Amino acid sequence: MTKTLSYYPGCSSQATGVHLDTSLKAVMSKVGITFREIDDWNCCGASVGHICSGHVPTLALSGRNLAAARAAGPEDVVTPCAACYLNTHHTNEEIRDKPEVKAEVNEALAEAGKSYDGSLHVRHICEVLVNDVRMDTLKSAVTNPLTGLKVAGWVGCQTVRPFAATERGGKWETYDDPSFLDDFTKACGAEAVPFKGKTKCCGGSVAVISPDKTLHLMKDILDEVKASGADVVSTPCPLCQTNLEMYQPAINQQFGTDFNIPVVFYSQLLAVAMGMDAKADAGLHQHLIPPDAVLSRAK
Amino acid sequence: MNALSPTPTKKYDLSFARWVYRNVDGGDRLALCMQCGTCSGSCPIGAQMDFGPRKLFMMIRAGMKEEVLSSNSMAACVSCYNCVVRCPRKVPVKYILQSLFTVAVREGYAQSVDSDNARFARAFWWSAAKFGRTDERLVTARFYFSYGLSAGFKKSMANLAIAKGMVKAKRMHLGLPHTCKNAGELRKILAKAAEIEARHAT
Repeated sequence: MTKTLSYYPGCSSQATGVHLDTSLKAVMSKVGITFREIDDWNCCGASVGHICSGHVPTLALSGRNLAAARAAGPEDVVTPCAACYLNTHHTNEEIRDKPEVKAEVNEALAEAGKSYDGSLHVRHICEVLVNDVRMDTLKSAVTNPLTGLKVAGWVGCQTVRPFAATERGGKWETYDDPSFLDDFTKACGAEAVPFKGKTKCCGGSVAVISPDKTLHLMKDILDEVKASGADVVSTPCPLCQTNLEMYQPAINQQFGTDFNIPVVFYSQLLAVAMGMDAKADAGLHQHLIPPDAVLSRAK
Repeated sequence: MNALSPTPTKKYDLSFARWVYRNVDGGDRLALCMQCGTCSGSCPIGAQMDFGPRKLFMMIRAGMKEEVLSSNSMAACVSCYNCVVRCPRKVPVKYILQSLFTVAVREGYAQSVDSDNARFARAFWWSAAKFGRTDERLVTARFYFSYGLSAGFKKSMANLAIAKGMVKAKRMHLGLPHTCKNAGELRKILAKAAEIEARHAT
């Protein structure tokens, strides 16, 4: 299978989530997906953009990205970031379904000679892997199975919750008990351990802003990881990965625990399982807590 | 919080509810809320809210505008969307809270304007609008120092270990901010969008 997709990497791809971007691109090259990056993309506003700017300016942010994607072609827009997905998807639906919103966003875009008609599909890259690439393709690309590695699949909240069905009616996932992340783990030849914290929220941007209000949420998740016996946590969300990793020292200090659990992206596991380089392709050297159990299995 | 509960003897003022139905993103579905409490029961941060979404929605219908907009409920939301996906009446709970948050900030309610979330949002929007991208270093610094010089310094020091780790892991760079090539174009679009937003607010 070969397919070109319009790629929206999001701001984290250049900073805290750079290892998601690196590993994802490496994996895509093995399964026939070509990313065409949206020209001169901008920030989507994440979880806080709307607070002081309001509805229309937030829609205008994603509107500019969608206009650039549409100008480049009719291909689906895909993003690996939970917040980018939410905002871009929501903006797309608003423009597509509400004529008054479409008129207002286009009035703003016209300032730069741009327009957008709502005709694209916005998708999460995991949904593309499930429905277009498919598990058997992922499995057949695995040359270095991660035998014996125990993985807790932590989907987080935003990636699946709002959009349990795809726009084209394909099979995606339920928001309460998604299985795709465990399926990725199994495709890698690793063991997906039963994990109760699967869709629990880490606090998202509020964890960054006011950790004192959300450390208990992440402690609950880490307790479940420990109970599951996993060597490593796998997640699709850049903010989940950063939060759960960087706050373990603060959690240990506050709750008297001794967590030191590596948190990686599903795409890093896939890259290693596909026999690629642990650093250059999987970005496994870019962790605050080194994922030793994964590194030792890398070729 | 029973003292703030609507009572049968109180005369309801529906003007605030009607305003929310018409002007808040997703507000048109608020009338369908049947007070089942699935939203409040699903909220991971509900215990920190003055009122959970269920109660807040009843208060909107009861015309309790001041109590609604001066509460901390909107600023406390962690955007997990549990409430949105679980609502049996498909009320977009989080979207309504987020629009009410914007209203409360605009109208100057302290629990919203001075909240950590709004302080961070101002720093975040500054970066998004100026550079077209989020610069986590500058956003965090602006956010910390919004509490004043000494508080900002203290907060920065408290997070120094994390920042050092991120730099070492090459997940935080040391050069100039990442920018859009055409950030000027984005600023023009956003200026017009803000003008349109202001039309709604009046």
